[in-house]
Amino acid sequence: MKKTLYCLFFSLCVAGCGESPKESTDTAASADGLPGVTAEVEAYYAANPDFFSFKTPADLPTGLVWENNNHLPEIGSPDAVKGGTQNAALQDFPRTLRTVGPDSNGGFRTFLLDDTGMTMAHLHPETRDLYPGLAESWAIDEAARTVYVKLDPAARFSDGEPVTADDYLFMFWFYRSPYIMAPWYNNFYSTTYTNITRYDDHTISITTRELKPDLDERVLLLRPIPQHFYTDMGDDFSERYQWEFEPTTGAYIIRPEDVRKGRSIALTRNKDWWAKDKKYWRYRFNPDRIQFTVIRDDAKTFEAFKRGDVDQFGLGLAEYWYEKLPDSDPDIQAGYIHKVMYYNQRPRPNFGLWINTAQPLLKDREIRLGINYATNWELVIEKFFRGDNTRMNTGQEGFGDFTHPTITARTFDISKAQAHFAAAGFTERGADGILVNDQGQRLAFTLATGYESLRDVLTILREEAAKAGLELRIEVLDSTVGWKKVQEKQHDIFFTAFGVFLELYPRFWEHYHSDNAYDKAFLEDGSVNPERKLKTQTNNLESFAILEMDQLIERYRRSSDRDEMIQLAHRMTELHHEHASFVPGFYQGFFRIGHWRWLRYPEGFSHKHAQGPGEAFVHWIDSDMKAETEAARRSGERFDPVIRVYDQWAE
Amino acid sequence: MFALTPQTRKKLRRFRQIKRGYYSFLILAGLSALLACGELLINSRALVVSYQGELYFPTYGDFHPGTDFGLDYDYETNYRDLQARFDEADEGNWVLLPLVPYNPYENNAAGGVFRPQPPSAASQHYLGTDTTSRDILARLFYGTRIALLFALGFTLSVYLIGIAIGCAMGYFGGVFDLVLQRVIEIWSNVPFLYMVIIIFSVIPSTVAVPTRISILLLVMVLFSWTGMTYYMRTETYKEKARDYVAAARIIGASNTRIIFRHIMPNVLSTLITFMPFTVVAAISAITALDFLGFGLPVPTPSLGELLKQGTANLRTAPWIVISAFGTLVALLTLVTFIGEAIRESFDPKTFSVYR
Repeated sequence: MKKTLYCLFFSLCVAGCGESPKESTDTAASADGLPGVTAEVEAYYAANPDFFSFKTPADLPTGLVWENNNHLPEIGSPDAVKGGTQNAALQDFPRTLRTVGPDSNGGFRTFLLDDTGMTMAHLHPETRDLYPGLAESWAIDEAARTVYVKLDPAARFSDGEPVTADDYLFMFWFYRSPYIMAPWYNNFYSTTYTNITRYDDHTISITTRELKPDLDERVLLLRPIPQHFYTDMGDDFSERYQWEFEPTTGAYIIRPEDVRKGRSIALTRNKDWWAKDKKYWRYRFNPDRIQFTVIRDDAKTFEAFKRGDVDQFGLGLAEYWYEKLPDSDPDIQAGYIHKVMYYNQRPRPNFGLWINTAQPLLKDREIRLGINYATNWELVIEKFFRGDNTRMNTGQEGFGDFTHPTITARTFDISKAQAHFAAAGFTERGADGILVNDQGQRLAFTLATGYESLRDVLTILREEAAKAGLELRIEVLDSTVGWKKVQEKQHDIFFTAFGVFLELYPRFWEHYHSDNAYDKAFLEDGSVNPERKLKTQTNNLESFAILEMDQLIERYRRSSDRDEMIQLAHRMTELHHEHASFVPGFYQGFFRIGHWRWLRYPEGFSHKHAQGPGEAFVHWIDSDMKAETEAARRSGERFDPVIRVYDQWAE
Repeated sequence: MFALTPQTRKKLRRFRQIKRGYYSFLILAGLSALLACGELLINSRALVVSYQGELYFPTYGDFHPGTDFGLDYDYETNYRDLQARFDEADEGNWVLLPLVPYNPYENNAAGGVFRPQPPSAASQHYLGTDTTSRDILARLFYGTRIALLFALGFTLSVYLIGIAIGCAMGYFGGVFDLVLQRVIEIWSNVPFLYMVIIIFSVIPSTVAVPTRISILLLVMVLFSWTGMTYYMRTETYKEKARDYVAAARIIGASNTRIIFRHIMPNVLSTLITFMPFTVVAAISAITALDFLGFGLPVPTPSLGELLKQGTANLRTAPWIVISAFGTLVALLTLVTFIGEAIRESFDPKTFSVYR
């Protein structure tokens, strides 16, 4: 389940992040002998001289302090052995091998790019500091909102071509291009950055529009796009590159012969990978081959895992951890399969009920307060998740200082709920126990979700809410249909969560700014515009529009002072809490897996900020141990059982 | 219209002689009667409550808040708790609960967490509980009731449309027949499952559950009536050429009268023979749709949903799949036996004795 959820989070986030201003393309020049799209790209650079600058190394400012954080702890273990095949399962075959454009936000993107590709620097999974990837070193000029980067001259794409400054210039053209059909990218790369300068083949600088506390991350987490690969860009981009594997800077490539559509796909380790001896990279990406087989049903994947056909299985759901693979399971007791639980600390997906305040009854804060009190998350957490999960208190959990320290979510309380419903005019119970007001209107709302796997949660909430006289009609939708529904703002109450990346501070604009709720929400004098219209296709699922919030968000976006931002974040969280348009749900402060003993992790491995065990690719396949284990299963030989809980990062 | 002619009486006698079908029919009839008054057998509401000398019958009608019986909450009384409380207090108050004191929606976690519990007579979960600790017997019982009602509605509607159109095609023939046949051919090639998915994605969620079930029924009927028309069309063609139809026409009988009074009784055996199989098809279809997640809205009890849970928990909770699968097999077997017996008793060729 976890994997599906995270895929969904990711697609939700990227699919829904705001509007899509189309970048101007009338700069396209006629072909003048250069291959494919090159002329168009160069004309674009020429037409945007403010953005694309070309200088010489002599133009670099003096006094820059170059750093490369080479003092951080290694990632992975020197014991790791290269080789072997890891067997894994996919729920669905990837719809494309592109990493951008239609259908590219599926779960498989993790293996194409997110976890395997390289950027200039990466966040260390234990310390959250940047460690070098494609960059050799970097220097930060806060006053100029600019980061200077020296690219590693050794850096190569998997087809042998070197990584150069040009691939970064091209990246901006590429992500702003209408050909890729990705409005979020078009918008993000047009509005976040204001300049890229090329000093020589391996030196660039990138400037951001706003000075933010995470300026270095905003620049250094950018990846190059191989210009030599995308020579034939055009309106047919999405079809032309549908099944083309882009040359990667990372360790794993996909060979065309390993793509068996609908059935299986495999990653193959690039033995000539340029970074294979670099610090931070040398003990990682160990298996020679990672074979993914499509198994559409979770229950079947589990059976395959139990047979040993799949090396590892996520045991996030309580039913797997406690019942389907209990500690007493013969394979666990014989030490063939290891069970491990890792606590982690990172921004949490904001699971909860998003109440659409644009719906007639839900406009009333009293009703929303009533719904907050009538939602029994405590019961869900205690009896369905068996106490493993934790109640969220706000919509911004896991951001350290940015998370509000004192606000707690409203707990289930029938009498408080009824008091609030009564204040909204719902005083009498009807024949079936549901409250009605004096116009005979029932207190009933639709509670929809796109999470098929969490439907049981909603049925429990429904039964409990009925005690307070609130009827929740449950609607379990296909994830795409559900997403469409909230994007059209047709929901009453929606149960969902947005993907949250390992970011320094939470985002507010997307969810709480009136720009994303209504067209012209307020008049000049600050009063509510009586003719305002709901704005669709945004992530403001609560139709949240409060003038004070808008002002705070704008200050927050402009602010570069960490302390001020923390204060603003707290104030905004308070406003959001008072508005009661979100019922915070739960989060899982850990991840847990079962794996066969031949799939090995470094001794004591537990990354503080990881969201899954495979994220940093520190595991390896011990082929001797695999043969030994298989022989032992036949002969009945036993090993010591391994059931571990790494709780050093428990919150 | 269909008075019992000697011929019909003979058919009924023949039906009674085929024991397997006849007993199946009796069992199914008995089951239907049980299902009709299910609230008295399987329900979380008590049958009778005697409180302070007054008798209450909460099964049907408005809910009783806990305050009616001296409890401190104003939502629906938990009668099982009430019984325990009365027994403890011993003040002469008593509660009479149904055989299975659970409704199909409530999560009753005996072990403290929501998870499948094996069957247990002590907790009165005679078939165990499902993954969120709901009583399986209650869910099966009400799921079966909905499936049977659904099948009944489905069969009646399909027959009504199928007979009317099929007879008209056979009787009028010519261009009318030709055109309608082409229309049916096209219509029957529309993929049914996709239509269900598409239609359900556009129905607004404000629509109440019974209405949603009716819409599902309507969609299924819309895509299932075509099969019936083929048989009716050929039968009517055959009967139309008979002398009695010509005679009726000469007397001046209207088309409607000829179709419904003269032809219909003569093609009845075809109709009745197909009926049980239509019922089977309807039950299977609604179960399959539920299994795939496109059927009855959550949390309506349904056989398909239980089957799905069962297959996902095959190792850890085999009682779920056993109950659901057993019920489905029993139900379909009963209907099929009845169907075979009907076919046999309506078959004029008595030498093909059904054993």
